[in-house]
Amino acid sequence: MRRFSVRSILVWTAVSILGAVAWGIIALARGEHISAAWLIVAALCSYAIAYRFYSRFIARRVLGVDNNRATPAERLENGIDYNVTDRRVLFGHHFAAIAGAGPLVGPVLAAQMGYLPGTLWIVFGVIFAGAVQDMVTLFFSVRRNGKSLGQMARDEIGAVGGAVALIAVFSIMILILAVLALVVVQALATSPWGTFSIAMTIPIALFMGFWMRLIRPGAILEATGIGVVLLLAAVIGGKYVADSGLAGAFTLSPESLTIALIVYGFVASVLPVWMLLAPRDYLSAFMKIGTIALLAVGIIIASPTMHNERVTDFASTGAGPVFAGPLFPFVFIIIACGALSGFHSLIASGTTPKMIEKEGQVRFIGYGGMLTESFVAVMAIIAASIIAPGLYYSMNVPAGVLGDTAQSAATAVKDFGFTITPGALNSAAADVGEKTLIARTGGAPTLAVGMSEIFSGAFGGFKAFWYHFAIMFEALFILTTVDAGTRVCRFMLQDTLGNLWKPMGRTSWWPGLAGASAVVVAAWGYFLYNGVTNPLGGINQLFPLFGIANQLLAAVALAVGTTILIKSGRAKWAWVTGIPLAWDATVTLTASSYKVFSSNPKLGFFAQRNAFQDAIDANKVLPPAKSMDDMHTIVTNSTVDGILAAFFAVMIIIVILMSVRIWLIALRRRGPLPTSETPPEPSMLWAPAGLFPTPEERAQMGRAQREPMPVGFGRGR
Amino acid sequence: MTAARLRHGFGRLAWYLREVSGESAYDRYCEHRERHHPGEEAMTRAEFWRWRMDERDRNPGARCC
Repeated sequence: MRRFSVRSILVWTAVSILGAVAWGIIALARGEHISAAWLIVAALCSYAIAYRFYSRFIARRVLGVDNNRATPAERLENGIDYNVTDRRVLFGHHFAAIAGAGPLVGPVLAAQMGYLPGTLWIVFGVIFAGAVQDMVTLFFSVRRNGKSLGQMARDEIGAVGGAVALIAVFSIMILILAVLALVVVQALATSPWGTFSIAMTIPIALFMGFWMRLIRPGAILEATGIGVVLLLAAVIGGKYVADSGLAGAFTLSPESLTIALIVYGFVASVLPVWMLLAPRDYLSAFMKIGTIALLAVGIIIASPTMHNERVTDFASTGAGPVFAGPLFPFVFIIIACGALSGFHSLIASGTTPKMIEKEGQVRFIGYGGMLTESFVAVMAIIAASIIAPGLYYSMNVPAGVLGDTAQSAATAVKDFGFTITPGALNSAAADVGEKTLIARTGGAPTLAVGMSEIFSGAFGGFKAFWYHFAIMFEALFILTTVDAGTRVCRFMLQDTLGNLWKPMGRTSWWPGLAGASAVVVAAWGYFLYNGVTNPLGGINQLFPLFGIANQLLAAVALAVGTTILIKSGRAKWAWVTGIPLAWDATVTLTASSYKVFSSNPKLGFFAQRNAFQDAIDANKVLPPAKSMDDMHTIVTNSTVDGILAAFFAVMIIIVILMSVRIWLIALRRRGPLPTSETPPEPSMLWAPAGLFPTPEERAQMGRAQREPMPVGFGRGR
Repeated sequence: MTAARLRHGFGRLAWYLREVSGESAYDRYCEHRERHHPGEEAMTRAEFWRWRMDERDRNPGARCC
C-alpha cells in the first residue's frame, strides 16, 4: 500500500477543516441569516472526502474492480448498444439520464422542515447510500454483461424477487409520470407565458426532427443549436403573447392542461422516436446541463442569504401544510432523488454498463455521477430557502387551505406562523410576470422564483424572464421524461402481455402498440387527474407515495447488491450496502405505516377516507372540500392511495424476506454460492480510471504505446 | 502560445460535444465496420441515421425522474 505523501495529507486536512467549519456555521450560527455559500462549501468538501476515500475503499476492497478485466463494451462491442465509450463522455450520458426533476422538486418541498435536515440527508444520504447504490449496481451489471436490475434480481434472489422488481419498476414509473406531469400542470395553470413557451417546444422539436431526418442526417449539434435559439425566443416571445389578444388561448385551467398532457403523452408515445422524442431529448439534455451549470455559477456569484429557518417547528410537530408527517421518516421519503434514488439502478443497469471502458471507472461514473446529482439537490434546497418563508408557504400550501385571494392566503400563512402582506404577495407575482403565485404547488414555481432571484442577482436581467426560463427548463425535461417513460412502460407491458398472447409482444404491430400506450397513459392520467382535482392537494397526497415507490426500488437494488456480496463470499463487506438497505427499509416501512395506519386524517389515507366518509353519511361537507362531489373525490382518492401505500410496503417486505433467505443459505454454506457473473477475460484496452490520469497511469500509457497489446494496467484485485 | 492553447481548448470542447451528443456515431460506425467487417458494404450516412433512430424506437431508454 502506497503511503500518503505530505502534500496529500496537507490538502486533505485542509479540505476536512474547511468542510467542518462550513458545517459548523450551518448548524450552529445563531441569530443571523447565513450565506448559501456555506452550504455549497460544506457539500463540496464532504463530496471530495467521500469520493477520495470511501468510494475508493468500496471500489478496491469491497467490489474488487479489476482494470485488467475486459468490460462488456470491449468484449461484446457491436456498434449498436455495446460501445467502448470515453469515460468523460459516458459521464455526460449517465448524468443526463439520471438527473431529472426529482432532485429539483423534492428538496423544495422538504424545505418545509427547514434547510438543515434536508441538506444533511442530501449530502450524507448520497455519500453512504445513493452513490453507493449507483456504483454497486453499475459494477454488478458490468460483471453480468449489462443485465438489467430485474434480470439480476431474478438470477440472484429468485423468481419472486424478479417479479417484485418488475412490478416495482412498472408502478414507480406510473407514479413518477403522474407526479411529474402534475408538477407541470401546477407550473403552467393559468399562465399564458409559460404555456406558450412550452407549447412552442413541440413545433421546435418537430422541426429539429425533420431537419435531422431529411435535410441534414446526423447533424445533431447544428439542429440542437437552432433549437436552443428558438427556445429562448419562445421564452422571450411568451411575454408578448401573454400581453396580447392571444393570451386567452394559452390560459388553461388545470383540468384542460391535464387533458392536453394526456393527449400529448399518448400521441408522443406512438409517434416514431425521430419525430418528437429524440429531438426533445437533445434539447432537454442540453438545457438541463447548461442551466444546472449556470445555477452553480449563479449561486457562487450572487451568494444569496438563506431566509428559511434552520429547522422549523413542523419537523417535530409533523403538522406541516406542504406535506404531512414528522421529520422522520418523511424528509427521507420526500427527498429521494438527490440522496437515494432507486430509479437510478435502472440506468446503472441499462445502457451505461454496456458502454463503460474500464471496471475502475464505475467509481467516477457511478459514484461521481450521483454526487453531481446530489449537488443539484443542494442547489434546489438553497433556491427554495433564499425566498421569504411567507412567500414559500403562500406558494406551496394546497389551494383548499389558502383560498383564492392574496388576502385569504396571507391570513392562512399567518396561521402557520409566517408573515406576508397581500401587497407583497401580489408584487412577487407581478415581478415574475404571473397573475398569481398562490398555491402554485409542485415545487417547480418555487424553484423558478428562487432561480430568478439568483440569476437576476448574478447576471442581471428581468426576474420575469429568468422565472419563465426556469419554468421552461423544468417543464421541458419533465415532458421528455413523460414521453420516454410512457414508451418504456408500454414496452414492459407489451413484453409481459406477449408472453400470454404472441401478437401483443410484437412491437411493430400497431393495434398492440396503440392499445398498450393507451393503457399506460390512462394509468398515469388517472393519478394525474386525481391529483389535479383533489381538494386536499395532489402534491401533498401523491408526492409521499412517489417517494415511497422510489425507495422501494432502491430497496430492490440494495438487496440485490447485498445478496451478491454475500453469495460471492464477501459477507464481511455486506454492510456497505446492507446498512443503507436497513435504513431504506426502516424509512419506507415507517412512512408507509404512517400513511396506512395513522389515525390522523391529515396523515393516514384510511383515517382520511373514514373522516370524509363519515361526513358524507352525516350529509356534511368538510373543508377543504367545497361540495359533495369533492367529498366523494376525496374518499375515492384516499382509498386508492392508501391501498398503494400498503402494497408498496408488502413488496418491500417480500424482497427483503426473499433476500434474507438467500443470505442464510449462503452463510451456512461457508463457501461462495455461484452467481451469474461472467468469467473474466483479459482486457486489450488502456484507459485511466478517474477523470484525470494518475502519474502511474501516465507512465503506463507511455508503456502501452510502445509495447504490443495486451497491457497490464493498474492494481488487480 | 495563447492562440494555440485556445484553439486546442476549443478543439477539445468540440470533440466533447460531438461525442456526448452522439454526432460522431456515424464515424465510429465506419471505423467499426472497417475493423471488424472490412470489404463489406456499409450503410450510407443517411441510412445509418435512419437506422439508428429506428433502433431507438425498438429500444427505448428510460429517463430518470
